[in-house]
Amino acid sequence: MPVTVELPKEKWNGKVREITLGATPAQGGTRTSTVTVGGETTLPFLHFEGSIPYRPAIAVEIQDVPPQDWSTTLLEAWDTAASDPVSWAKKAVELGADALAVKLRGTHPERQSRSAAEAAETVKAILGAVGVPLIVYGPEVAEKDNEVLVAVAEAAAGERLALGNCEDKNYRTIVAGALAHGHLVVAKTPIDVNLAKQLNILISDMGLPLDRVLMDPTTGALGYGIEYTYSVMERLRLAALMGDSMTQQPMICTVGEESWRQKESKVKDGVPSLWGDFAERGPLWEMATAMALLQSGADILVLRHPKTIKTMRETISKLMSS
Amino acid sequence: MQEEKIVTKEARPGNSKAIVVFKPFGTVANVEVGTLLLDAAQLAGVEVNSPCGGQGRCGRCKVLVEYGEVARRTNPMLSSADESQGYALACQTVIKGDVVLVVPTKEEIQRRPAIETAAEKIALPFVCDWRREPAIQKLYLEITPPSLADNTNDLDRLKRELAKRLGIKDLVVSLPMLRSLSRTLREADWRVTVVLDMRNWLPGGSIPPRLIGLLPGDETSTNLGLAVDIGTTSVVVYLVDFITGKVADTASAYNAQVSCGEDVISRIIYSQRRDGLNHLQRLVIKTINDLITELAGHNHIHADDINEVSVAGNTTMTHIFLGLDPKYIREEPYIPTMTVPPRVSAGDLGLAINPNASVYCMPAVGSYVGGDITSGVLSSGLFQTDRLTLFIDVGTNGEMVLGTKDWLITCACSAGPAFEGGGVRHGMRATAGAIEDIWVNPQNYEPTYRVINNISPAGICGSGLIDLLAEMFVTGVIDKAGKIRRELPTPRVRMGDHGPEYVVAWAAETASGHNIVITEADINNLIRAKAAVYAGLSVLCNSVGVKLADVEQILIGGAFGQYINVEKAIQIGLLPDLPWEKFHYLGNTSALGAYTALLCKDMRAAVVDIARKMTYLELSADNSFMNEYTSALFMPHTNLEAFPSVKRLLYKTE
Repeated sequence: MPVTVELPKEKWNGKVREITLGATPAQGGTRTSTVTVGGETTLPFLHFEGSIPYRPAIAVEIQDVPPQDWSTTLLEAWDTAASDPVSWAKKAVELGADALAVKLRGTHPERQSRSAAEAAETVKAILGAVGVPLIVYGPEVAEKDNEVLVAVAEAAAGERLALGNCEDKNYRTIVAGALAHGHLVVAKTPIDVNLAKQLNILISDMGLPLDRVLMDPTTGALGYGIEYTYSVMERLRLAALMGDSMTQQPMICTVGEESWRQKESKVKDGVPSLWGDFAERGPLWEMATAMALLQSGADILVLRHPKTIKTMRETISKLMSS
Repeated sequence: MQEEKIVTKEARPGNSKAIVVFKPFGTVANVEVGTLLLDAAQLAGVEVNSPCGGQGRCGRCKVLVEYGEVARRTNPMLSSADESQGYALACQTVIKGDVVLVVPTKEEIQRRPAIETAAEKIALPFVCDWRREPAIQKLYLEITPPSLADNTNDLDRLKRELAKRLGIKDLVVSLPMLRSLSRTLREADWRVTVVLDMRNWLPGGSIPPRLIGLLPGDETSTNLGLAVDIGTTSVVVYLVDFITGKVADTASAYNAQVSCGEDVISRIIYSQRRDGLNHLQRLVIKTINDLITELAGHNHIHADDINEVSVAGNTTMTHIFLGLDPKYIREEPYIPTMTVPPRVSAGDLGLAINPNASVYCMPAVGSYVGGDITSGVLSSGLFQTDRLTLFIDVGTNGEMVLGTKDWLITCACSAGPAFEGGGVRHGMRATAGAIEDIWVNPQNYEPTYRVINNISPAGICGSGLIDLLAEMFVTGVIDKAGKIRRELPTPRVRMGDHGPEYVVAWAAETASGHNIVITEADINNLIRAKAAVYAGLSVLCNSVGVKLADVEQILIGGAFGQYINVEKAIQIGLLPDLPWEKFHYLGNTSALGAYTALLCKDMRAAVVDIARKMTYLELSADNSFMNEYTSALFMPHTNLEAFPSVKRLLYKTE
């Protein structure tokens, strides 16, 4: 006898903010494609319960100078493309990047210490070479971040870049730059619901509309605190759905950076044989991290390895079609 | 009070003019009806104090409307008494016709009324029939001398007389008393005053009174007791007259133990040194004895006439006072020697009063909720109320009690010394030279401050720090996370030797000749302190399933409560955002409780019952505390909805 089972549905009052990265010529920029994320009215992929209007986006991380500390697995995968930011950007877009996360590591005072003007030129060059939106990170040194990101904001006025990272100790200059030149910001806090909310409030108090703020709850990689990240993201998303306005920002997770930082992804020799094939291990570590965070509400995954990019694209398609 | 709508000149038809006369200067201004008094003063070139920049927040622009009609906007800085006397806030009042104003000179501007601590103001918090059942009774006896026909022994003879007069069947007499009995009776020619400790005696009960004094002649005209509040920082004593039931005089001094550490933890550490505990005990006894000497001198009494002592102090202070080792208070699982201290003799402790006098310490709940708090619950009347009440005592530790007459729950959180001026670069205690009141002008970020005793400032005390934090916050000198906004166009905001800072007083104005500043690190300390208190309040309420907003009254006790400005404390998120009328300052609730228990016999039993009834919530074992704490590490709070009045102020919405 057929039995009709009514699926229990949760009714949420809140909705994640819709945020669009990048601006087309009609919108005052030069992008050929933009990325919109957010808008969810339910928990990840519960399509039967609410609306999930946009698929989670994949941003591919590239750097302005060839990375010095990356795993050989990564360097081999990108090969010569990584020697120049423009070729790297093009290659990443070819592989399916919805957006690019440009890390201006070369501006770090203890690295090449490139100037803000040089950094701005790099960003301009990438913008000229590809049509996807950019997320631009400074060297993650407060003073230099401010200098570099303000120059980038000015040089790329109107492009709706996402500028990062804003942190509670250093957000005012970056937010001011975003405000003045029509960009977005990434608000990063150390795995804590309250701190995430507080930074959103501080940024919003400066007059930047909340539909221009992405939040980065800080990613812990698989085996390195992923459960904390998972739980905090879940709590943030639950608060957002319950109507807490200051937690309704889409979430961006720097999965590539965190999972490739770990020994499992970086060390080839002298590890237990049980760890398996080194060439596969790193991408798998990155995929497993990305997969979990997707389930806890990640709206943008920042990835590094071409294999991960491919797998996550396919996974997201499947999760969105069900 | 009904709010009068301010009619602006635009809203008025026509363009009527009015004449404003400013006394005592005699200056006249011709302004349009609907002009703000403050603007009129400016037009006339008359200086009216306006440190808050005309926002109606400071109440310092008070003027007297001697003649004419004005429209006042209701403002908490202007009491109805002020209004009925004709006062108005220049920045909140508009002219409706010709008026004559009197502008007070700066010296005339009323100081915020200080809590009256004068002895005559200290009253029992509730009615108690202490006369009917006195704890200490003096009785003049004329005893028939013994003879060969009546050869009853001296003690039985005394007892016989007492049985006749008071119906007392038996008497406890100590050996030293007994040793002097025969001689005293004879030397006084059998006319003596007996001093009886009737504390535990009930008519028909089994506990006999205790003979604590035998004085030649009639000495019944005086009978004194002492209520003592042993604070970690200060000691307060009340001299209680058992005949009138009133506090005859008070005295206070720093606890001499301060030289051995500023907080209870450092005292406990000190007590573990060789002879450390003895030394600490001697110091506090000496502090009390010095105060007794002072009181005896001022009041022309004999210290020997003090016949009972009631002591309230936190658990550590009580342990040290009694010479009990406080070591285990500090070590997990934080267990004190006892919570209900037994009766002790004054002589055994070295108190310079009647050596047979009983000394009772107020009972504690646990290691971090002590006799000062049970004393506060007693004197605040919390234990008798039907209304949901929150009692807060904030010092280095913040202790709080929530409940009604039926239930009580309590917790203690470590606020740190910031509110007492500790851990802050230019913080100081609330003594002469301390900035106690600050206003920051929202237009130019210039501060106006008031210094205790009106001398050059030497630092900022706790209330000044709360003021300063609130003012910097609402005027935008700092953001909600407590970061100084360096880009502000004022030289007062700058990078100092210890990071970003705000200059409260330039070197030329100060006592030391150095700038008085508040640094970002200071601000962080203050935010941490207020967050600990607020998180404690939140967890306490959550633990019993009530909302802070449901609390019907908030009673503020302890030394801190005397100076705290509720408005500012709410703005920084230290106290919950509830209507001001729910807050009540009670002054020194600890000393008042000791006095109450001293005078009213049944209140001693009541306070023991209070201590037993209170449920202690250990915050370090509560997993929601950290979340509440982080949430409170923001101004006023991460959840702004919990602070509607601050939200209105910040976003200028009604």
